[in-house]
Amino acid sequence: MSAPPASAAGKPLELVCPAGTPAALKAAVAAGADSVYLGFRDETNARNFPGLNFSRDELAESLRVAHGEGVKVLVAVNTFPEAGNPDPWHRAVDDAAGMGADALIVADIGLAAYAARNHPETRRHLSVQAAASNPQAIRFYAEELGVKRVVLPRVLTIAEIAALNARISVETEVFVFGGLCVMAEGRCSLSSYVTGVSPNKDGACSPASHVRYEDAGGRLASRLAGSMINAFEPGEPAAYPTLCKGRFRHRGIASYLFEEPSSLSLVHLIPELQAAGVTALKIEGRQRGRAYVSQAVAAFRRAVDAAAEGRAVQVDELVGISEGQRDTTGAYQRGWK
Amino acid sequence: MITTTPTLSPVLIAGLPLRLLPPIALQPLLDTLMGTLRRRHPEVFTRLGCIDNPVYEIDPIDLPFRFLLRMTATAPRLRAARDTDAGLDQAGATIRGPLLTLIELLEGRTDGDALFFSRRLTISGDTEAVVALRNALDDAEVDLLGDILASAGPLASPLSRALGVAGHIFKRAALDLETVRGAILEPVTARLDGHETAARELEARITELQHGGRRRRREAP
Repeated sequence: MSAPPASAAGKPLELVCPAGTPAALKAAVAAGADSVYLGFRDETNARNFPGLNFSRDELAESLRVAHGEGVKVLVAVNTFPEAGNPDPWHRAVDDAAGMGADALIVADIGLAAYAARNHPETRRHLSVQAAASNPQAIRFYAEELGVKRVVLPRVLTIAEIAALNARISVETEVFVFGGLCVMAEGRCSLSSYVTGVSPNKDGACSPASHVRYEDAGGRLASRLAGSMINAFEPGEPAAYPTLCKGRFRHRGIASYLFEEPSSLSLVHLIPELQAAGVTALKIEGRQRGRAYVSQAVAAFRRAVDAAAEGRAVQVDELVGISEGQRDTTGAYQRGWK
Repeated sequence: MITTTPTLSPVLIAGLPLRLLPPIALQPLLDTLMGTLRRRHPEVFTRLGCIDNPVYEIDPIDLPFRFLLRMTATAPRLRAARDTDAGLDQAGATIRGPLLTLIELLEGRTDGDALFFSRRLTISGDTEAVVALRNALDDAEVDLLGDILASAGPLASPLSRALGVAGHIFKRAALDLETVRGAILEPVTARLDGHETAARELEARITELQHGGRRRRREAP
């Protein structure tokens, strides 16, 4: 895939990269990340997966490693506090701010207020989970809660992002690679409905504890909480076991009714995002291994630097790490409206 | 059971005579590996603390053995077994793939999700236990050869040289086998290419006929 020459060459966009473990953080730093985002090992972040994430001690050491290389660390506290039990979320905010995180990524409006009141000196970024997608909502977060950056939901076209940026004064960050969520961000209850575990409160969509893979007459079947949601023919690329990427039979034909398994990839649209006034580009995938982090970050580092210099760049290595071995530009280049 | 057919590789060839070896003969080597993992990467067991009784069946599809991996912090153990070994039933989850792919995954040189998407790796059983193991190992930055050499004491230097020679032979053998594989498959590949071309031509012809039919219906009075 070849990126067109930049239409708005200039300062490179900030590359915000995922880290599920300290080793992945080191890999991101080595591959050229400007910022790394991560979460604590509990339900206070939206990648609460087994064996993943950071202890307090690991965060302290990772801050030292990243800051030593001039890389920022953004701590995601981006799930919604359980009613009557805000303490784990408050502790996460207090500890991350106290240890010197460069920013907190928050979704819940109450938690944003808590962070603004108790840690005014620590930058606040609004998580994609908050789904703020219009100037009025973003201005509210900026003016009332001191939010400095908004991670935009993956439902806007690049033209809409440009129009939005013209009407707000805070920074915007957009996802450019990785898993896609078909619902308005943070508003999905499909996984909760089937598993009883909430992506928004417990931090895990299709929790691994509820997922099983099994043989279905030679096909690889994925089950979520006992229900078969997909079956792959031998050799057919597989997908994550999420309901939105399940294959359902309608009028006798099995198909992807919500979303086909593929990864978002905007590697060839970086010049357009730059021209649209975006500040930072985010790579999804805290649940992925450090090999993915190294590969995705290195590819986007090259593409971002090339766009800043107005050069075209060839980036071919991302399909191999994409879900379903396919990529899409999603809503950013919306062809269905 | 979901199986993956192994491709022709030096591991597959080397594995054939290993069928004669009793699994217990591998135990000293496996004990050394697990002792090294426990000593040099204790954080793996901390990350796996969220899993009750983490016992896995590791199935390198190109070897005549499977392995039972018990990842409890107090008594981790790796044991080789035949396919029919009843002890394999203790495993809560199975991870299956070519040996070299499994080693790459152990060392974090490849992404587990990407292997899963491409179907080079299959898992079954307790997915949570598998995900936890993958994440724990990925963070540990295991370097299998480096870890073995670090535990070899005065033998490290000659062992390193021997492994270097073995690695060179392995790479050469892999290239040769790829050539052999290509030669064996060439007639089949040529036939398949021919069928594919014919199928594409037929598909184009059908599309053309369908368009012609629609045009004629539209033009009909």
